[in-house]
Amino acid sequence: MPIVATEALRKVYGEGEAEVVALDSVDLSVEPGEFVAVMGPSGCGKSTLLNMIGGLDHATSGSVRIDGADLTELSDDKLTELRRRRIGFVFQFFNLIPVLDAVENAALPLTLDGDSHARDKARTWLGKVGLGDRLTSRPDQLSGGQQQRVTIARALSTEPALVLADEPTGNLDSKSATEIAELLRQVAVEWGRSVLMVTHDPRIANYAGRLVLMKDGRVVDDLKLDGGHDAAADAMRRAGLL
Amino acid sequence: MNVQLTLAWRYLKGRGGRTVLTTLSVVFGVMLIFGLNGLMPAMLQVFSRTLVSTAGKVDATVTSPFGSTFSLDVAAKVARVPGVARVTPMLQRTVPLAPRIGAAAADQVTQAYVIGVDPATVLHVRDLPVATGRSLAIGDGDVVVLASDLAKRLGVGVGGTLSVPSSVGTTKYTVVGLLSSATAPGQEQFYVPLSSAQRLFAEGQNINEVDASFAQGVDRVATEAAVQRAVGSDLQVGGLSSNSSLIGTIQVAQYAFNMFGIFALATGAFIILNSFRTVVAERRRDIGMLRAIGAKRGTVVGMFLIESIIQGMLGTAIGIAAGWAMAAAGLAALNPIMDRYFHMTVGAPVFEPWTWAFAISMGVGVTIAAAIVPAMAAGRVTPMEAMRPQLGEVYERRVGRRAWIGAAIVGLAVLSFATRDSGIVSLGSIVFLVGIALVAPAIVSPVSDTFGALIDVAFAREGGIARSNLQRNPGRSAITVTAVMLGLATIIAMAGVITSIFAGFTSYITKSMSADFMLLPQSIVLSSGNVAAGPRLTDEVRHTAGMGTVTTLRLGQGKIKGAQVQALGIDPATYAKVASFEWSAGSSDAAIARLAQGRWLIANGIFASSHKLVVGQAVAFETPNGPKTYHVAGIGNDYLNAKLSTTYVSQDNLAKDFNVVNDLVIMGNLAPGAEKATTQARLESVVAGYPAFKLYESSSWLKEQLNTFDQTMGIFYVLGAALALPSLLALVNTLAISVLGRTREIGMLRAVGSTRRQVRRMVMAESLLLSAIGTALGIVAGVWLGYALVQATVSVGWPMPYFFPWSGILLTIAVGLGFGVLASYVPARSAARLNVVDALHFE
Repeated sequence: MPIVATEALRKVYGEGEAEVVALDSVDLSVEPGEFVAVMGPSGCGKSTLLNMIGGLDHATSGSVRIDGADLTELSDDKLTELRRRRIGFVFQFFNLIPVLDAVENAALPLTLDGDSHARDKARTWLGKVGLGDRLTSRPDQLSGGQQQRVTIARALSTEPALVLADEPTGNLDSKSATEIAELLRQVAVEWGRSVLMVTHDPRIANYAGRLVLMKDGRVVDDLKLDGGHDAAADAMRRAGLL
Repeated sequence: MNVQLTLAWRYLKGRGGRTVLTTLSVVFGVMLIFGLNGLMPAMLQVFSRTLVSTAGKVDATVTSPFGSTFSLDVAAKVARVPGVARVTPMLQRTVPLAPRIGAAAADQVTQAYVIGVDPATVLHVRDLPVATGRSLAIGDGDVVVLASDLAKRLGVGVGGTLSVPSSVGTTKYTVVGLLSSATAPGQEQFYVPLSSAQRLFAEGQNINEVDASFAQGVDRVATEAAVQRAVGSDLQVGGLSSNSSLIGTIQVAQYAFNMFGIFALATGAFIILNSFRTVVAERRRDIGMLRAIGAKRGTVVGMFLIESIIQGMLGTAIGIAAGWAMAAAGLAALNPIMDRYFHMTVGAPVFEPWTWAFAISMGVGVTIAAAIVPAMAAGRVTPMEAMRPQLGEVYERRVGRRAWIGAAIVGLAVLSFATRDSGIVSLGSIVFLVGIALVAPAIVSPVSDTFGALIDVAFAREGGIARSNLQRNPGRSAITVTAVMLGLATIIAMAGVITSIFAGFTSYITKSMSADFMLLPQSIVLSSGNVAAGPRLTDEVRHTAGMGTVTTLRLGQGKIKGAQVQALGIDPATYAKVASFEWSAGSSDAAIARLAQGRWLIANGIFASSHKLVVGQAVAFETPNGPKTYHVAGIGNDYLNAKLSTTYVSQDNLAKDFNVVNDLVIMGNLAPGAEKATTQARLESVVAGYPAFKLYESSSWLKEQLNTFDQTMGIFYVLGAALALPSLLALVNTLAISVLGRTREIGMLRAVGSTRRQVRRMVMAESLLLSAIGTALGIVAGVWLGYALVQATVSVGWPMPYFFPWSGILLTIAVGLGFGVLASYVPARSAARLNVVDALHFE
């Protein structure tokens, strides 16, 4: 069973003359342990797609299933619970709570869930993402790359089936961006989570196993990547997106 | 809950400066509510103690409504009433004591109650536990028993002597026993044998009180009624309440102070509201992330509410401690005045359980209430916010339904003014404030355009940006303006009340105390206990070389239309030459001459207005010698009696109808050409033989009175400043928020060429604009509130004309603009110091 399955997913903003179709009949599935990159020009609907799959926004029509559960049928509380337990989020701007340290930030979803081992689990994951020596540092004491590692540890701490990453390297220097891309591949390949990543950067997309290209709210190409350095850029050129 | 608590606490700690500001606003409000409510009950308690007998076993007290003495037979009549177990007769009066040379100020005892008791029966009704020496015994002469602590203050022990002044000179008492009971402030008592007291006060066989205790299990109400029947309608049964108008005045003060406290807290509430609104706006992305990773709406709302509870509890705790200190300091400052006018010393502040409950519930409650709306808004933040970049502030201009409701409320409040009913006007003033708070967001922009023209004069380049900064978030600006308005309205309201009281009194004093010399009893307000002087003192004054016209005041008690009233006897031939009245319309000095022509009286304002008396009207005066018909000759006030229901009659009539021939106040002028200092020295030597009286030279006495008023004014101005401080906090808070929210913009301004000075001036201009609008609204609201408070004071029996508080308004404008500059100092400095590159990248 796929972890993510969208069917004829459609999202329309505004009405009448101001109507904008952000997503148009998108069918997409992601298997367990798969690392999928979504690329496309600005305004093509990739972030909207991510928001729909993450249960952050409601679809106009069509359906989204996460791990078998149809998001369109869930109440706000159930949706919140599903986000907490089954989905991990990695944001472009890290979105760490500035007044909490690394462990507390990474443990946050578990703490919200009332898990008494929240801090231990957070420590374990911070160790796995390479921050075992910065456990008590607050966000303002960490570099951008380190902050994004805390975000990834936070996303993984609840052992989710799916990790959604929205431009996870958009705010990082090139070296840190590469490290984060490698870490996300590790999340999928070694730790068996499905990762769906939206990015602008073809170099980062190359770390994924599969590339979905979007334009004007539709999926225009969906291909396997072989790990080659130019695979993503080539695909974009073929689709007329570069 | 745990994560909410952790987050709340960490966020509070994380923005320490603003947490301190917001918490301080709670501290001030709670301090005022708690402190003032501790001070007032302490004063009330002392007054009540003084007025109502607190002795243990007394069930009923028989006294004369005229304050006069009556026959000893009354005690026997009361004893015969079925249900009455024990009775004891008494004769008690207040006597002034000469200051003890070399004693500390705290140990000085300026007056005492001399209580003549019957040694045979007193112990059945009163507790007089003897610690040293003995009780009073039958057959005792001039001996006294008093509390040990009082004896210590007076520096006497068993076997020592005490000098007590009387109408004939001084009587020496030998101390025979010391009581173990403690002396309540203002309750210094000397117990002497009844016969000795009767000699001291020249009262023959008369007494002025009978205390009775009832048998167990009797119907108290029925027994009291039976006692009343037995003693007849000339005497009253129960407690003394002749000075209840004084208590009424204190209660009005308490009401006013409570209102000021609530104002301060309301100002605090607006500050908290502003802080939390900003905090929610600043944390939108944090909140979005929390929602994205699985925090429920309730969790987010709860997090903000917990923050508010922590701040509320912290602020309340500090506020209570500060309030305690304030009350103690306030009493220390007020005690000299209390001692001077009322011969009472107020002890420690009294905090009743309801004061605690009120202060805590207001402190915590207001904080939570102010945080609810922002917290709910936080709950509505969607997880999508986590994905969006943070935006700078943009204009939001909306004249919503709220503003129209506010305008309608302001309209209603204005209408309430037309009713001239003090209750409705008071309510109207509060309603007005609520209306202004609602309408403020809509009027901030147009009003700031108006004031903007003024600001542009001083801040030509920065004024425009400052104005648009203020207009772009009218909600926040309006909250600040409302907070400033509340703070400053309190100053003006207080100034209005104080100016009215003092302007009225100063005018009374100067007009009614025109004599060159006055001999006053040491206690001038609570007159019922004063010792009057026999004719000898007046004669001696009159015959002192250098003295011209001398006139006197005598005091009797009576009733008109069932209400107690004091009858002051004046000499129509001499009074107008030495003193004068502040006449009401339609009355003049001719009324004084009329008093000599039969039973005519002059009524003072409070008495005339409460009984709707008009000149020429006939009134039935109940006197100790039965009802007599008097006619109203005029209506006028004098200083000493401005607050008490008073009539003035001729001394001949006072002697005939009230049996009073002794002088209470002696006033005299210098003879033409006489030398003041020499005459004063001669008078001093005359008065030396009468310790109950003190000689005042009018000009220095006036100065002394006005000084005392100034001292009191000083206390009120300090209080006013304390009340206005929260508005300073509100300004600082808003400016700090405003600067923080625009960090990136300020960076941009600096990048394109603004100097640091210009940035600083921009913030200052914004601050001045906010405070100017707040001050303007505060003046309107404050004048209104002050008027309402003056009316409320009038309605409880202290008539006073309303004086427009010009000085208060000038003070408020100065304070408002001063706060404007002061509040901008730190935010302006931090804005000017921003590093351009950091500011441009500020999140």
